[in-house]
Amino acid sequence: MFLLPKGNPLFENLAVTKLKLPDVLLKLSTGGFTGYSSFVFQTSTVILVFEAGKLVSALLEDRNGKRQNGFEALSALAELMVSSGSGTMNVYKLSKDLTMCIHALLEGETLYKAQELKLIDINSLLGKVKNDRMNGCLRIYTEEHSAMIFYKEGNPLGFFHDGSGDIESSSSESQKIAGLPGAKIDLFATQSVEEIMGINLLEVANIQKIWDATVALHQSEIDRTNKERQERDIKAATLRLAELEEQVKVIVGEYVGKVGRGIVDKELSENGGNSCLIDEAGFAKFLSGVERAAKLLISGTNIKAMMEKLTSTITIAKSDS
Amino acid sequence: MEKFFELLTQMNPFDLVQVIFWGMAGAISFYFSIGNARVWTSISIGFFLIFLSQAYGINPWGHYQKLTAFHYIVGTVAIMMITHGFLEYYVFCRTFEISGNKLIVYLSTLGILAASGAFLLINPNPSPNTIRNIRMVENAIWVFLCVMNIELVRKIYLAIKDSDISKGFIAFGLVFFFIFLWKGSELYLQIFQWDQDWQDIIALMTDESTDFDQYPARIQFSQEVRRYAGLLSGISVGGTFTYIYRLLK
Repeated sequence: MFLLPKGNPLFENLAVTKLKLPDVLLKLSTGGFTGYSSFVFQTSTVILVFEAGKLVSALLEDRNGKRQNGFEALSALAELMVSSGSGTMNVYKLSKDLTMCIHALLEGETLYKAQELKLIDINSLLGKVKNDRMNGCLRIYTEEHSAMIFYKEGNPLGFFHDGSGDIESSSSESQKIAGLPGAKIDLFATQSVEEIMGINLLEVANIQKIWDATVALHQSEIDRTNKERQERDIKAATLRLAELEEQVKVIVGEYVGKVGRGIVDKELSENGGNSCLIDEAGFAKFLSGVERAAKLLISGTNIKAMMEKLTSTITIAKSDS
Repeated sequence: MEKFFELLTQMNPFDLVQVIFWGMAGAISFYFSIGNARVWTSISIGFFLIFLSQAYGINPWGHYQKLTAFHYIVGTVAIMMITHGFLEYYVFCRTFEISGNKLIVYLSTLGILAASGAFLLINPNPSPNTIRNIRMVENAIWVFLCVMNIELVRKIYLAIKDSDISKGFIAFGLVFFFIFLWKGSELYLQIFQWDQDWQDIIALMTDESTDFDQYPARIQFSQEVRRYAGLLSGISVGGTFTYIYRLLK
């Protein structure tokens, strides 16, 4: 995933689930913030770049490297914030120059992606950057650290690494990361500052509407899921009751004979259906009715045994549900 | 009391045994009605009433004609109660509905008997001929309701034949068969005026003749059937209730 050097942290590891996107953007915008904000989710990372309170760039990159920009990225961010249930937000302050470099980087083109540093000829690559007079950025990174070297017309402009708020001239941090095991590089061609659009995304996108629509959609999804679960539960309960009713009919039939099923049907219909079997008062009335009818057909000893069997069956069914 | 014992000594021993068996059957059926479900109340009260109807022979005041007529009316109420009970049992077998309560059955029976008594009280003293007519009506009702009850019992048995009590209904079928023979033979004798009551009436009160002597064999046969079927009826009712009592215990 896209990992930028951390810059000067204003906030780190804020739980996204407690945040509302319109509030966050409003706060950064009205505060005239310059820098970037990253939203890290399990499946994606979103980077928002601010310049003097203007949201100049929004980029989403998922685990597979697939990217979305601008309005799409904001919509996806709103959806992730509402539905992911996890994720953290970080806000890093940067200088205006560095911010514009990051902006240019995000708007630029990826030339090389996730190349193992030890497998490539770095001198030849740097020679190509110089010879082609590239505007670009070389990102050196591991799982936890990242540093960047910006180039303008093939010449190094400066370095950006964790903790720096501006473009720096020291290459020591970049060299340090390059020496770490598993270090990789990306090479990006950036657009010149003059070419990149200076649109404030907050002015062209109605963040509040995007957020409200996303929340409403998510709520309807939750409602639909709940309804489906309720229907599943009702269906399962109906099935359990039908099985219990059949068990009761078998028991009564075993003692009373074939008319037993009819007696059970009649008592169930008089006590509001088979749901009375799991209702204490309803079951007592049901049992009393069955006993009254059974007195006309079977011996007291068998009635007692049948009542005990019915009670124990219902007790077991109740404890299982 | 002396009058009662005098009546006992005057009675035909066979009739005395029959009354004793009906007494036992009545006691058993009445006891059965107390401890069992409501539907049994009508049936058992009905069989108990048969004993009351048969007890006129040992009633010290049986020479009062209104009382004799009352005995026969009680007999008619008895078979109606029994039939009502079996009808209710049949309805239960088809719908599983049980309604009413025992007290209402007891009070209704008393009410019907009281109304019958009142009917006799407000009317003239019944002649021997009237008493014989009442007895003939009783026998006719018994015969036709016995046939109906045999059919009801058969249907009840088919509906509940795999339950504990089903064989009890076969026994009831036997009971109604004996009663049918008993009451049927009596009715037969009455219809052809070969019964003892008619012989007594024409001997004392009318100038009518009788063909009694022309058919001695069939009259003798009918009288024997009446005697033995009557005895077997009493025994079978007592036995049936005892058997059902054991089945339901």
